[in-house]
Amino acid sequence: MTHRPRPRIGPDNAPFWEGCRRHTLVLPTCSECGKAHLPPGPVCPYCFSDRITWRRATGQGHISTWTIVHKAWFPAFTDDIPYNVVQVKLDEGPQLTSNLVGLSGRTPEIGQRVEVVFDDVDDTLTLHRFRVLA
Amino acid sequence: MKLDAAIVGIGHSSFGRGLPDSQLSLAATAFKNALADAGIERRDVDGLSIHLGWPIGVDYDRVAEGFGLEIRYVNQAWLHGRFVTNALQHAALAVCAGLADVVACVTAISFTRERGFLGGPGDVEGNREEGGTHGEAPPYGLTAPAGGAALAMQRYMHVYKATSEQLAAVPMTLRRHATLNPRAIMKTPLTLEAHQNARMVVDPLRLFDCCLISDGAVVVLVARADRAKNMRQKPIRITGMQGVRSGRDEFIFAPRGLGINQQSGRVSASRSIDREVFAKTGIERGDVQGFYTYDAFSPLVLFALERFGYCGAGEAASWVQGGRIALGGELPVNTSGGLLSEAHVGGWNSICEMVRQLRGTAGPSQIADAAVLQWGTAWGDSVILTAGVERH
Repeated sequence: MTHRPRPRIGPDNAPFWEGCRRHTLVLPTCSECGKAHLPPGPVCPYCFSDRITWRRATGQGHISTWTIVHKAWFPAFTDDIPYNVVQVKLDEGPQLTSNLVGLSGRTPEIGQRVEVVFDDVDDTLTLHRFRVLA
Repeated sequence: MKLDAAIVGIGHSSFGRGLPDSQLSLAATAFKNALADAGIERRDVDGLSIHLGWPIGVDYDRVAEGFGLEIRYVNQAWLHGRFVTNALQHAALAVCAGLADVVACVTAISFTRERGFLGGPGDVEGNREEGGTHGEAPPYGLTAPAGGAALAMQRYMHVYKATSEQLAAVPMTLRRHATLNPRAIMKTPLTLEAHQNARMVVDPLRLFDCCLISDGAVVVLVARADRAKNMRQKPIRITGMQGVRSGRDEFIFAPRGLGINQQSGRVSASRSIDREVFAKTGIERGDVQGFYTYDAFSPLVLFALERFGYCGAGEAASWVQGGRIALGGELPVNTSGGLLSEAHVGGWNSICEMVRQLRGTAGPSQIADAAVLQWGTAWGDSVILTAGVERH
């Protein structure tokens, strides 16, 4: 068996992945200018403030771009080929790379409204994925 | 500090796939060929500028030790193709600042042997805490630089109604250039049908939209222009330079602001800051007789043309049609075949081609009276090379 790559978790992004464990999408958000950002960083990339707090996001957004992977780069993903990878522009502003589930072979569409779902991979890791909103 | 540097010698190994030679061996061949081309001795080289270190390339200390050099200036970038311009620029800056007399830009690549590093389980570098620098997200199955280029091109096609058939003009043109080049790996003409029928790799990038995974080495020797006057070859002047553009609205494989990763989605046409390389030199874009770029994926050629204002935002897919970027066209691009069809030597195969063009030794690929050529990338850095004639 081959294993799927896991996120590399460090001091800056640990709260994000801990949020996924709780099935909550949280974003680092600036207490001064109010903007959320991704990937998680120690300061606000807009106003450079240190006052970052983790806030619960709506979990909704739209597809800003997508691709379908046809090449078997990862042995662990071979059975999934072809599979999609999407970038979701969250309603709070930042973009997140994820997979769209429940497409049944259809192609993702730019602009499609989506919401987060959580996939408990094992006892220590939960990945966010997205589904199309009705 | 006045920019007064020139390329005084070029050398390369053979280019191929699955070459048995070590990186250092390929580098040694290229190094000897560059010294012979310039008519200088090994002891004359006192600086090294390394584009790609281990594991895909060779590190500076191994080159210096292995070739018995006495080095007093070193630049080495992290392991990415994007630093080709940077490596050449640092060589130019070093000789102008007196840190070295002759800097050897050394790029020796064994992509075939080390391809596991480029994507898949070996893509350690793509699995950073914040995601890979080309948009890699291995937990979600996205790996290798191609993934990020695909995300960007998919959005570009949506925003500007560009098509895969239009994109095909890039690899088809570069293939045509490669057919004139005995060094090129891919010499079979590429038809639109073959492009469209080739397997999809990562949508919308098909096989021939992705560059070669190949092996080879190039050495480019840089000296101060006054010193170059006494050397064997006509010096090719590094007339203008501008650096990499980076920030929240930049992504390595997308036009500024297209909406990939952290970009705002507010697309901007070429701005004056994107074209500083012209403003500083007194050369105008209309003076450029050939454009050379890092064509790891065919969309990057479109994005580079837009970055430097050869066409407007979203216009490049139409602009490259009808032979415009072919030899004999308005702006020939990558006249030796580029990374897509000649070889992937980190872009240095195209730097060599620019030097041959400006020397007038490009053979059947020669651009008539080539005097001003531009190297420029999708990520915004650029170098203008001229045939040594002062322009006013």
